[in-house]
Amino acid sequence: MFRNYIKIAWRNLRFNRLFSAINIVGLSFGLTIVLLLFLFISHERSFDSMFPKKDRIHRSIIKTNGDFGFDTWATVPPITSLAMKEEMTHVESAARLLKHNFGRPASLRINNQNYTEDMLYWADKELVSIFDIALVRGDGATALDRPGTVILSEKAARTYFNGENPLGKTILIDSDNELEVTGVYKDFPENSTLDADMLASSNGSWFYDRRSWSNASFETYCLLKENVSTDDAQVQLNQLFEANVDEDNRWFSFALQPLEKVHLYSASYGNSYTSRIGDINEVRNMTYLAILILLIACVNYMNLTTARSQKRSKEVGISKTLGATSRSLVGRFYMETGLIAAISIFLGIVFAILLLPGFNRLTNQNLGLDLLWTPTFLTVTIAVWLITTLFSGLYPSLYLSRFLPKEILSPSLKRGMGNILIRKGLVVMQFAASTALIVGVMVIYQQTDYVQNKDLGFAADNVMAISIGGLRGNENRDALTQELENFTEVTAVSMAQGYPSMDVSGRSLRKNNLEEQGLNIQTNVADGGIIDALKLKLLAGSGLPKNKAKNDTLVEVVLNKKAIDYLGYTPEEAIGKEVYMGNPYTVVGVVDNFNYESLHQPIGAYAFHNAPTEGKSFMLVRFNSANLAKTINSLKTAFNKVAPNIDFNYTFLDQSLETLYAREKRAGQISVVFCLLAVFIAALGLFGLAAYTAEQRRKEIGIRKVLGASVAKISQMLSKDFAKLVLIALMIGFPVAYFFMENWLQGFAYRIDIQWWVFALAGSIALAIALVTVSFQAIRAALTNPTKSLRTE
Amino acid sequence: MITIQNLKKSFRTEEVETLALNNVNLTVEEGEFVAIMGPSGCGKSTLLNIIGMLDNPTEGSYNFAGHEVGGLKESQRTQLRKGNLGFVFQSFNLIDELTVYENVELPLIYLKMGKAERKEKVMKVLERMKIAHREKHFPQQLSGGQQQRVAISRAVVTNPKLILADEPTGNLDSKNGIEVMNLLTELNQEGTTIVMVTHSDRDSHYAHRVVNLFDGQIVTESQNRAIGAMM
Repeated sequence: MFRNYIKIAWRNLRFNRLFSAINIVGLSFGLTIVLLLFLFISHERSFDSMFPKKDRIHRSIIKTNGDFGFDTWATVPPITSLAMKEEMTHVESAARLLKHNFGRPASLRINNQNYTEDMLYWADKELVSIFDIALVRGDGATALDRPGTVILSEKAARTYFNGENPLGKTILIDSDNELEVTGVYKDFPENSTLDADMLASSNGSWFYDRRSWSNASFETYCLLKENVSTDDAQVQLNQLFEANVDEDNRWFSFALQPLEKVHLYSASYGNSYTSRIGDINEVRNMTYLAILILLIACVNYMNLTTARSQKRSKEVGISKTLGATSRSLVGRFYMETGLIAAISIFLGIVFAILLLPGFNRLTNQNLGLDLLWTPTFLTVTIAVWLITTLFSGLYPSLYLSRFLPKEILSPSLKRGMGNILIRKGLVVMQFAASTALIVGVMVIYQQTDYVQNKDLGFAADNVMAISIGGLRGNENRDALTQELENFTEVTAVSMAQGYPSMDVSGRSLRKNNLEEQGLNIQTNVADGGIIDALKLKLLAGSGLPKNKAKNDTLVEVVLNKKAIDYLGYTPEEAIGKEVYMGNPYTVVGVVDNFNYESLHQPIGAYAFHNAPTEGKSFMLVRFNSANLAKTINSLKTAFNKVAPNIDFNYTFLDQSLETLYAREKRAGQISVVFCLLAVFIAALGLFGLAAYTAEQRRKEIGIRKVLGASVAKISQMLSKDFAKLVLIALMIGFPVAYFFMENWLQGFAYRIDIQWWVFALAGSIALAIALVTVSFQAIRAALTNPTKSLRTE
Repeated sequence: MITIQNLKKSFRTEEVETLALNNVNLTVEEGEFVAIMGPSGCGKSTLLNIIGMLDNPTEGSYNFAGHEVGGLKESQRTQLRKGNLGFVFQSFNLIDELTVYENVELPLIYLKMGKAERKEKVMKVLERMKIAHREKHFPQQLSGGQQQRVAISRAVVTNPKLILADEPTGNLDSKNGIEVMNLLTELNQEGTTIVMVTHSDRDSHYAHRVVNLFDGQIVTESQNRAIGAMM
């Protein structure tokens, strides 16, 4: 019997090629996306699962209050791990991680060659045992014991030592710190939060024994003892904190984050060093989207399958008169659905393999095909096949198998109109979703465009940031400034701790040191060239002094408007005033507000100052060049002249700013793909409904034609009904889209307003797609010879 | 074999109730060949549906081979139908996706018969109907007469006690029509009971008895003389 079912199903596919193709293509497109999304979701969910002690590993985080607002930071003070090891009975081990120079690239010199390394971390030796980092060379137990030691990933060892054994070799970091290679470890997998390519021993570093409860800059992982709960350890940590720090200085409290939560639940945390931060909301949204797409594809299958009900009813009727039961017919239609779903899944996998590189680009991932051959993927594929079959087959099998055999003997008897309502409802829902997505895509693009073209209060174009972390000595730095200023293409040069789009230092701004409450302010060590380099608008006073005498201990500061508004000064009044940011600073200039963070954040207080509290890691160079490659080359030559032992490493400011909106860009691109897909599938659904209606109205169309109706008139008559459905869909889709997009835009401090014409355009697009789809069927129906349709009645 | 007493069938739409059959009493003996005639809309097909257990009467009793069918559920009717009844339709009603062989095989599959036995029966009946050479063809590749022979093969392959034929020659030319009627007569002579709805006077002459329906009621019944090979 089963063979017979499959045979009929297979021949049905073959004999109705167009319908089968539409059906299979619709379903397999949907399944392709579902499979790709599954790869993405499972990759995200698999983070850090490879570490054997993962259940006991926790990251300590802090929740700030007071001047810094209510925020969560992934970094904690340097004493945390020391105190944990020494005083917490719940903790077995703990280790700190500090990205080189608070997240700046490191300049390396190896075998007389210069390199730049972005993934150098300073770490406590315990990190190796906590994460069971496997060493392929050297001894993990002792590799980071001594001061001045470093272990490399296999990738870094290959890059820097060309396959030679690097053990015992030395690496010069930032011109003054020589490290000996004592081990090579297996590369951290793609789904590991730890992304270091070089782990240098904290022993001997400035923070090694720093017992301070401030300067929360250290990512700290601890290993809890067996059977200790997160909550208990967290309570103990906070008790320890409270015992050591008086209440006035407690501007944060501690929390412990289990390792399994680190990747997906830290998107909003500040100060995380890893380059691999996930977002549970993104994973959830992707999951919902996968389910939605699967649903739409299944609904589409139902629509298209039942669209041929007239023909199928005959088959059902015959089978029933010959002894088939409803149950066996349900089985038969499920068999058919299962077959189509299997073909679609197969095609879906093929498409997924073909589209994986594109999907990786779209989602900024590096998912491998190997994920396709895991037992989980196989299980999920089978599950998706079963769900698709059961769900898609539900309506057709129940609907079709209910046909009564007497209906084939009395073809004039027609089934009720109930199912047409369901079918129309399904199409309305599909189109509502599609129009909502069209509106969404348009709004996302408008906002992205606005973000990219908004006046940020400074000019990010034609500015290059050259890493100078490795350049030692003021003479060298001044010499480099001189060299660069000599170029005619260079219009401004400034050394700074950081640049807009990059974290600098957080301090608290006060009018005088008696005030209790302060304002969180970002401070950036810079020199006199910064205003010209960034083209900031000076409101009063001047920039920082270009030259400072060696014995001049006065610390100058240029504040932005937001900062002096807080202090209650006008720009002019502020000049010459003393303000406090831990230490006293003298205001020499006021610049207008500028967006130093992404446009998600409102502008806060910002200061450029010249206290030597932090190092200046970048040389910002504004240039005006017709030949960029040539300019870069000349700058490189000049740089190498002053700093022959440092790699010439640079980035462009405007490109760096773009990375702030990588997530929006990704969301935009993904939504375009989903939008196209949803519209395509909805159009298929409509095609099915149009075909069904044309079939249902064959006789009517025949009679109208006999009575003199033209092809155009009949096409118009059929299309009108569908236009009504699309209009209903718009009424549902628009408010939904408005609600979601308003919500999305609220995440931006600077945003567009949704315009009425977006809806008009989206509606027109949806209507146009619908009419084109329907008119194909309508014209075909209208062109049919009426004698044909009337004879069969 | 068939005893119908005071049978009524009404159809209800939202506004009107139509009485399709009104107080029908009919008996068909085993081995009989009965033709039901009457103008369009007189209730012939409704009566055939009920006799074929495709539909239930609204009132009255229908006894088939000792079983009261009137109140049975669809699944029970399906069970009773299987193997006992064969259908021949005006529009053949073959399944387009199945070959001639597979169409004829279908009722045997529903009877859960083994493959070898099925093959033997199907080939036997196809040969008898002189259509075996077309066993691998699909219905659309056959002429109307051939299709109807396949349909008859399918109706008789289970050796049913009763064959119900609804205008079996309605879509055929006269030559093919005569062939089909001769086949039905042959089957009847071998003991199969046949109830046939027809518009055709010529076809009705093949039957032993003609029942005339009008407005849902049996108005006349007449005996035919045995025809044998009439033409």
